[in-house]
Amino acid sequence: MTNTSRPANPGSGSAPSAVDATVVDKIRHLLTGGAGRSGFWQTFGPFLVFVAMLVIVSLRNSAYLRGTGISIVTEAAAPILFVALGQAMVLNIGSIDLSNAAISLMGAVLVALMLPPLGVPAMIAVLVAVTLIGAVNGAIVAFAQVPSFALTLGTLGILEAAALVTSGSETIYVSHNRELITALYQSRPIGIPFTFWIGVLVAILYWGLLGYTRIGQGMTAMGKNESGAIFSAVRTRWLKVLAFAISGFTGGLAGISIVAQAGSASVSGLGSDLLLPGIAAALLGGTAISGGLTNPINVIFGALTVAFVPIAVQAIGISAQAQSLVYGIFIIGVVVLTTHRSVDAIIK
Amino acid sequence: MTTTLPPVLRLTDVVCTFGAVSAVKGVSLEIQRGEVVGLVGENGAGKSTLLKILSGILKPSSGRIEINGAVCNFRGPKDAFKAGVGVVHQEQSLFTNLTVGENIEQHRSAGGGVFGLQRWSPINRDAAVALERVGVKLSPKTRVSDLSFVDRQMVEIARAVCIDPSSGGAPLIVLDEPTAVLEHEETAVLEREIRNLRKFAGVIFVTHRLDEVLRVCDRVVVMRSGKFILDKSAKDVTRDELFQAMAGRASQVVQRRPARSSEGVTPALEVHALRGAGRYRDISFAAYPGHIVALLGSHGSGCESLMRTLFGAETYDSGTFEVLGRRATNWSIARAVKAGFAYVPAERKVEGMVGGFTAAQNIALAHPDKATIGPFLSPWRRDGVAQAWFDSLDVHPNEIVRGMSRFSGGNQQKIVLAKWLVSDDMKVFLLDHPHRGLDAGAAETVNAQIRSACDRGAAVVLIPDTIEEALAMADELIVMRDGNISARYDMSTAGPLSVENILEKMV
Repeated sequence: MTNTSRPANPGSGSAPSAVDATVVDKIRHLLTGGAGRSGFWQTFGPFLVFVAMLVIVSLRNSAYLRGTGISIVTEAAAPILFVALGQAMVLNIGSIDLSNAAISLMGAVLVALMLPPLGVPAMIAVLVAVTLIGAVNGAIVAFAQVPSFALTLGTLGILEAAALVTSGSETIYVSHNRELITALYQSRPIGIPFTFWIGVLVAILYWGLLGYTRIGQGMTAMGKNESGAIFSAVRTRWLKVLAFAISGFTGGLAGISIVAQAGSASVSGLGSDLLLPGIAAALLGGTAISGGLTNPINVIFGALTVAFVPIAVQAIGISAQAQSLVYGIFIIGVVVLTTHRSVDAIIK
Repeated sequence: MTTTLPPVLRLTDVVCTFGAVSAVKGVSLEIQRGEVVGLVGENGAGKSTLLKILSGILKPSSGRIEINGAVCNFRGPKDAFKAGVGVVHQEQSLFTNLTVGENIEQHRSAGGGVFGLQRWSPINRDAAVALERVGVKLSPKTRVSDLSFVDRQMVEIARAVCIDPSSGGAPLIVLDEPTAVLEHEETAVLEREIRNLRKFAGVIFVTHRLDEVLRVCDRVVVMRSGKFILDKSAKDVTRDELFQAMAGRASQVVQRRPARSSEGVTPALEVHALRGAGRYRDISFAAYPGHIVALLGSHGSGCESLMRTLFGAETYDSGTFEVLGRRATNWSIARAVKAGFAYVPAERKVEGMVGGFTAAQNIALAHPDKATIGPFLSPWRRDGVAQAWFDSLDVHPNEIVRGMSRFSGGNQQKIVLAKWLVSDDMKVFLLDHPHRGLDAGAAETVNAQIRSACDRGAAVVLIPDTIEEALAMADELIVMRDGNISARYDMSTAGPLSVENILEKMV
């Protein structure tokens, strides 16, 4: 199940009782790397929201509880999860990467082109390339001091054009070696595609990086107060390069998961519209857009929720026209619920 | 005029509680027009809470506030302002992206203009009048971000002074440590100005400088643990009496250490003809292990800038400096910290700490090696280190996972010190106004830590808050004026020095 990385659910959506409060505190301490108090909803909200959605939809359509639902949702969530994880890492340092969905699309096109002649090394080469693209983004932000919003808006355009040219605006089918990549999608431990499991693994790695390494602490410190971090000898410039490189790398994984799912890549096909769902998933996972706060494990549930909303809307039988409406209201509601607030925090 | 005018401010049994904690426990106070009342107390005594109540930010849990005889029930800062309470906050609260005139007007017109439209000429004219009143020559059209710290403080005061209470009575002006960030000359100007405010207002003056409170105020009120424990005319009270009332203990007289010989010792830091264009020039000095060098100068003398250069936070244009005999090249903060430098900045909240982090995370930020196993950070080791420092520096409240911004100023400064003191290998300790905003007790803790770092072999370069402090602590005094060194004194050989001797070299 997707919640293997998380401890047992301490309650069914209600506030914890006094008895299990200490258990909850310990779990929270572990989850946040001892980063101090955070509210119950901020820690467990993203998970509970997803579970609640699953339960509600299952009441209408019991097939969802028997695993079909999980399969459908995780299929749709895998590329979103990768893009959201990258985005969360960049948001955490107080920047934003608008280009990471374009990076993933570029990655998908490159994988589809290179896989037939090269096989597995193609995937590695593409991951290296997209990581470098991300690092270049980060280096420009850090050393030329260009605001990340402006810069990545620019790289977004450049990469889209590049993907269009590289693909010749056609759908590129993986003619040879196709099974190498589609296996990642078709092999399904517990009914969940392997690409999603990779996403879970990456989330756990990023979570560990943030909470339990010097690099991660430096990144979060920078997101909270960049001057304070600089004056404590945190190498903020290199950490910016690293965060954007991570975003590029995870974008590349998103590209691979797209090709694994579709067996092809196209500028207008699957995965061409991941930027906003990626940001939404990061926010639903409790990431603060103003920086210094994220939990990659919760981003998993953010991605699941984002992927699930359109499916749920259909399953419940709301008309297709109202889908965007429900989607919008839902996202606002969940962010209200899971945003970390404190007396002195300013929410931007 | 009748002789029985109501007092400008009357507090009756004001209580303010947060959950189970009472920050203010039933205080009563009367302030007459023409009276300057000094309010002193340690960090966390409840002064800030009381001021927040007066400025309408917090609501008292019970008790009564009367301004000029009218009972007030403030729903927000706007109401307090309308009733005639003008507050100069401890942290500067100007909008730096607006002009001086806009800032002053923004405050005054808190009620809103006609359709929210602004008319510029009266705004700037009125602002000019207010600035004139506090004796500062500034154009109302200047952008606040272009002003020095001192000028900003004067604008804040002008802003508080220009209020015009709707009740028609005298205004109450609250000054929360207005001199904490000012240099000596400006402090003198400000003290004069505060005495001028008497003519038309009642004044509450909060400060940590006890001699200042005795100089400026008519009456002194001491607050401790949420209560007023002393209320006396300034004429009838001594500095020691105030200290004892505030801290609950007598002031410790610190004996000057005998200066150690620096002959044959490699200086930890040696500066040769350092020049930073437009900031300082021709600076040469050496700091020896176990010695304290005090840099003295008024705002803009280049002291702060020089110190930031040594820490790698600013660049220099020519000259060199050597760290333990090795020339520093490509200097940066990261290199400085690696070489054993530590820096306590004057702007604590912005540069000294990461507010959203816990105290423990802050302590582990600059020297994480104590909290890490290889590249991995162990929250358990980190918490152990933090707890040890919390105990040894007596930080209140003793909660290492509390958010850094939720500590009071004095305790934050102790945590900032702990962040640098965790290193076993501190070579150069740079401190820029380390006592800014600290009460006497916390300041003593800071001084004790500076001395003990010194004893462990660090060279200390200190920009002190007062000249008296420099005289008490330093082995060598370097006085700067307009970017140059105007005088230097070796304290082991210099004759008796007075504050006036040094002030003379500063201005």
